[in-house]
Amino acid sequence: MAAHGAAIDPNEPVVYEQYETIEQQQETYLVGMWSFLVTEVMMFGALFLVYSLYRWKFRGEFFMFHEELSWQWGGLNTMNLLFSSFLMAKAVQATQLKRAKAQMWYLAGTIVCAFIFLIIKAIEWIPKFEHHLVPTASFHWPPHEPHGSGGGSPEHAKIFYSLYFTMTGLHGLHVVIGIIAITILMVMTKLKAKAITDYIPTEMVGLYWHFVDLVWIFLYPLFYLIPR
Amino acid sequence: MSQAVIGQRHEIPDLHYLNNGHTIASWLLTKDHKRIAVLYLISVSFMFFVGGLAAALVRLELTSPHGQLFTSEQYNKLFSAHGIVMVFFFIIPAVPAVLGNFALPIMIGAKDLAFPRLNLLSWYLYVVGALIVLTSFILGGVDAGWTFYTPLSSIYSNTQISLCLVGLFLAGFSSIFTGVNFIATVHKMRAPGMTWFKLPHFVWANYATSLIIVLGTPVVAITLVLVILERTLKFGIFSPELGGDPVLFQHMFWFYSHPAVYIMILPAMGVISELVSCFSRRRLFGYEMVAFSTVAIAAIGFLVWGHHMFFSSQSVLQGIIFSLLTLIVAVPSAIKTFNWVLTMYKGSVVFTTPMIYVLGFIGLFLVGGLTGPYLGAVACDVHLTGTYFVVAHFHFIMVGGAIMGFLGGLHFWWPKMFGRMYSEFWGRLSALVVFIGFNFTFFPQFILGYLGMPRRYHYYYFAPEWQIYNILSSAGASVLAIGYLMPVFYLTASLIKGKPAGPNPWGATGLEWNKTSSPPDTHNFHEKIVVTEPPYNYDAISDNRDYRKMWGGEPLEWEKETV
Amino acid sequence: MAEAHAEEHHGHHVTSNRVLNTTFLQLFAAMVITILAARAPIDGPALFPGFKDFFLKWEYAWGATNAIALGIAAFKAVQVIRFFMGVQYASGLIKLYAVMGFVGFTWLYILFWDYVGRPWEPVRGWETVPGTALPRDPDSDAGVPYKLYPGKEEGASAEMSHE
Repeated sequence: MAAHGAAIDPNEPVVYEQYETIEQQQETYLVGMWSFLVTEVMMFGALFLVYSLYRWKFRGEFFMFHEELSWQWGGLNTMNLLFSSFLMAKAVQATQLKRAKAQMWYLAGTIVCAFIFLIIKAIEWIPKFEHHLVPTASFHWPPHEPHGSGGGSPEHAKIFYSLYFTMTGLHGLHVVIGIIAITILMVMTKLKAKAITDYIPTEMVGLYWHFVDLVWIFLYPLFYLIPR
Repeated sequence: MSQAVIGQRHEIPDLHYLNNGHTIASWLLTKDHKRIAVLYLISVSFMFFVGGLAAALVRLELTSPHGQLFTSEQYNKLFSAHGIVMVFFFIIPAVPAVLGNFALPIMIGAKDLAFPRLNLLSWYLYVVGALIVLTSFILGGVDAGWTFYTPLSSIYSNTQISLCLVGLFLAGFSSIFTGVNFIATVHKMRAPGMTWFKLPHFVWANYATSLIIVLGTPVVAITLVLVILERTLKFGIFSPELGGDPVLFQHMFWFYSHPAVYIMILPAMGVISELVSCFSRRRLFGYEMVAFSTVAIAAIGFLVWGHHMFFSSQSVLQGIIFSLLTLIVAVPSAIKTFNWVLTMYKGSVVFTTPMIYVLGFIGLFLVGGLTGPYLGAVACDVHLTGTYFVVAHFHFIMVGGAIMGFLGGLHFWWPKMFGRMYSEFWGRLSALVVFIGFNFTFFPQFILGYLGMPRRYHYYYFAPEWQIYNILSSAGASVLAIGYLMPVFYLTASLIKGKPAGPNPWGATGLEWNKTSSPPDTHNFHEKIVVTEPPYNYDAISDNRDYRKMWGGEPLEWEKETV
Repeated sequence: MAEAHAEEHHGHHVTSNRVLNTTFLQLFAAMVITILAARAPIDGPALFPGFKDFFLKWEYAWGATNAIALGIAAFKAVQVIRFFMGVQYASGLIKLYAVMGFVGFTWLYILFWDYVGRPWEPVRGWETVPGTALPRDPDSDAGVPYKLYPGKEEGASAEMSHE
């Protein structure tokens, strides 16, 4: 893709041929990313809708189902994601100020947080497979060693755990995609790839990552902190 | 206004987007929106004929009341295949992805869409999705209809639904990426002076469509994922035996799929606005109101999905609310229709091929639209839902509306896309055949529905009096098929033998006709675009009279030479 | 917040360290409050004996923790969108699209009219008193409309059962 100007200054961002100015290009990328995030909001929104419907319908029982989830691990993960989001915001800031080294460190920190998130997720998920709490054909409620009362109807418990695994699973998938995106961004930045000439790629990955954080901000109270 | 010179011989420019690179890689890895539009045109047409084949077999089966050709299972798979292919792989992408991809950036004076690589990616997603869905048909088919209602699709059916849904999920993301691309392009890539109220209506329509796609498609995508999870892993979100609500699936499905009707029809309406103004040689009547009605349809379209569910166990309260909201959508649709008619009034209408499609569109859309209130009113719908009345109604909108719009637009922009004129005689003939065949096919279905024939039945031996209407409909379908096959031949022939069209064969306004050659250059324009004129400025064209003379009665200019 | 510290850099806004740090601390504090608010009615009685009486007397407190948790989550979301995602300093267009997804999300909730309305016209599984709803299936004896035309019953069912 040819630069707009005659000579390419390595310190100046490249304007792609379909754009007139760098401001137009940057704003266009942001609008594109935000309209994609609209899509993501609606995608998770549909699941939140299903969740709120069933929570409303089975309002007495959801408390008993959620007692098998550990609010401590979930809280730790929330803190972890909030911190990773903060690191990502710092990474974007460092990119804008052209502090290449700081940018790399912050991005690396974000990836570390993302992996910690996945590890904690695994610590939560793996025992659920053993306790038959995954809503497949072998689902069993009440669990053999319940943390809570173990009450409530087994059918409704299966709906709760279907929602739990679908929503945290989809969120986890987004975390994995986020890790891949940040890794690609870091490699391309390090290699000084042609596609990366300004802060916009980092900003877009950042927006995506903040969105992943946003979803978890709502998932945490909805699944781990259900009142009686 | 640049003057199109009548009667002048035109040449194809030496270098344009079609011959700028001849390798297969230059097509399959292209970032040029015009080439991607051509790729879409080929793949969308292929899927159209796949869906058409299924429709032909369905119509063939229904000629006999005893269901002699296929078993019930085969018939279920046939109409499901017809619905899935036509809805998700033809009508939804047809106008935005082919005509929109080609014309939208040129119409707003941009060199390309905002994200060319994303555009290519969305074509690949479309192709992969289509291949997966076709694979699922080959491996055993899908029998749950295009609506995939649970619990049939999630628990009871043992066909290839999961695989098919994966394909639909990818196709959904294909249209989401197109939508994102259009939104960013329309917002940020307009040429200087191209204000919102100078945008051609085709751009307005595609913008509104993109908003619907971006807001609606993810909802159905995740709903389909839930069905896949329910089938494969036995999750239980819509499962009635767990206390879940299967009607919730219908809610979430129609939250997208009713606006999807507007994804299909809005871009076609945009095409009609372009064409009706051009071939009436008159400024579009009520430009602002047509633009507002486009946005209003997009917005209200999200509030009416419940009218598909009057007969499910949706509550009566919701039924009444949705019934009222549904009737409101008629208002912006009527605004559009009145404005098209008033544009033609006292204009000098010329009956070129695209204009015949426009007239067909307005007539069929009127019938399809006015049967909508029958289905939108709860009391009436209880009797009509699930009958052929519904089938006829939505075919009048989708086929009579969206496909007529698509074909009209294709004939309108064909000279711009490929630089050559098709045979006007065959064009007009095919438009007429399509119109006549369409009415023969679908009007009897209104009567069938009124008489109570349920949709999706493959025999009706208990009511042999329905056979005459079914035979009429099937006979009409074969006429319709001929009408749809004709453009394949004469449009392909025009690529080789057609007379060079010149930059502006229709004498139309708009940047794509006046500021670039036919076919356009890879970068669309040779000069910097600054827009000063109002849209549809036909009153200012001095050689209007020559165009009238050219189109009025006499054989067209290019026709004289080809004949 | 510290808009005064906003600095302009090459045409786009660079969010200052102070804003980022403050936002992070706010988010952190909000999360601690959420957990406290949600766990108080559950763990509180064990820690403070007086809590139990309070929550037993004022039953809305259980639901109130729900609202508090979600309200705080919404506050956190808004702060993330405004400062981490930079919408506070972005153009009106970006602000429009930042809001649009959430507006579309609320549209989905229209379907609650269905579930709110179902107990009014009882449907199995959604009636206020379980088991009181009339079955809608026409073969059932309780189906009222079919009783209106007693003569048609046998003929209609025999005709429609195929093969």
